[in-house]
Amino acid sequence: MNDILKVENLNKSYEGFSLADVTFSLPEGCITGLIGINGAGKTTTLRTLLGLTKKQSGNIQFFGLEMEKNEKKIKDRIGIVLDDGCFYDELSLAGMKSIISSAYTEWSEQDFKRYMDIFSLDPKQKINTLSKGMKMKYALALALSHNAELLIMDEPTSGLDPLIRSQLLKVLTDYMENGGKGVFFSTHITSDLDKIADLLIMIHNGRIVFQEEKDFLLDTYRIVKGDAKTLTGDVRKLFLSISETAFGFTGVTKQIAEVQSFFPDAITERPTIEDIMLANIGGYKK
Amino acid sequence: MMLFHLLKKDVLIVKKYVLIMLAAAVLIPPFMLWRAPQYTGVLGFMLSVIFCVFMLLQYVSLKEYQFPKAATLLCATPYPRKMIVLSKYIFCMVTYVACCLIYGIETLIIPELGSCNIKLFVLMLFITCIFIGVYLPVQYKLGYEKTKFAFAVVIMASPFILPQLMKMENVNLDFLSLLSPLLAYGGITLLSLGILIVSITLSISFYSSVDLP
Repeated sequence: MNDILKVENLNKSYEGFSLADVTFSLPEGCITGLIGINGAGKTTTLRTLLGLTKKQSGNIQFFGLEMEKNEKKIKDRIGIVLDDGCFYDELSLAGMKSIISSAYTEWSEQDFKRYMDIFSLDPKQKINTLSKGMKMKYALALALSHNAELLIMDEPTSGLDPLIRSQLLKVLTDYMENGGKGVFFSTHITSDLDKIADLLIMIHNGRIVFQEEKDFLLDTYRIVKGDAKTLTGDVRKLFLSISETAFGFTGVTKQIAEVQSFFPDAITERPTIEDIMLANIGGYKK
Repeated sequence: MMLFHLLKKDVLIVKKYVLIMLAAAVLIPPFMLWRAPQYTGVLGFMLSVIFCVFMLLQYVSLKEYQFPKAATLLCATPYPRKMIVLSKYIFCMVTYVACCLIYGIETLIIPELGSCNIKLFVLMLFITCIFIGVYLPVQYKLGYEKTKFAFAVVIMASPFILPQLMKMENVNLDFLSLLSPLLAYGGITLLSLGILIVSITLSISFYSSVDLP
């Protein structure tokens, strides 16, 4: 499988925050989630990839092409959804569309009209009259109407109600089924990724914690519940994080076999992505 | 084509004000003739150009400031940042040309406004280029708020500058006629273009290194 995005040793510093040697790749045909808590570096990573903030060092390749040398060509093949829409809110949907569509060589008016119908959006409506969910749908209609091969979205589901989130996830799976080569989106709402992601990349404090297939991650980690008295110093090391109460402990581990040998009577559960994310940053509590 | 669409974008985001500014360009010269006939001519035209170019540019900048993430979205599309910068200069120059056309037509209809000649247009082109040549790079470097403050200081100083400007009515530009018209006006036009090129280069350099919100 070819990589549609390859990032190597990406560095970017702000006062009080830095992306440090961020390295990951996106294989073709996958929906990839970039997860992390607020302030972990998700938005900075996406913006640096798109050249919206200037990287200090590192190499970014989309579709095998260097971003620095082929920015225009690459952006023509990417659909973008930024958080909160990022529009001139006083324009009508048709007005904003006329600005955005002119940037793309393969703009499809037919696709745009289809998405506007699917999302029940009126082209004459002013953007500032749209709800957050409607703005996100409009942003998605713009991003999907120029035969984009890769869709990059920054927190698309943040602040949306469950119905709109579910519609949005359906559109993403349809996009992949209809020839999209990849979707890459950041989120801190991990339940969305449980439903559709193939691959997960976790970032924390500007550093990549892991890049794994979702199913592999869910198979690798376990939540273990047992008697707190049995937790000795050596055993504690088998857990990524532990939360203790008067009734017992709950921990997350990657070393399932060893833990089961220590706690044969302990209850083990399959974790969610949120459990895995929290365990990796030491914030797990159940 | 990209430039045309970016220019269209600037017009779209300030479309409410475009008609008002066009009306101002039409009304200022005859108003000057009516209220202050001694300043009709160069000064009337000068005021209409400065007013229209400055105010429309201010409105565009205000809208960009109100919706800063919209520029981020534009930069995430294939629109290159240099085109976005260049479109601002073209927007100003198109406004200038519109003012020239309006004034030209008005002098045909109202001969009392004075003669409409190439000397006037070249001089005003020079002044416009100096104005946007300074304003836009400063704005790309400092941002809308700080630039507004800096230019507010200039406006506050205008009571001291204006009397000097008033004297421009008496400025003798006849020395230009000593040179061949091609040399004089061509030279000023080239100088104006030179100012614009340096200014555009600076603005592109500033905007290219900005981390967008």
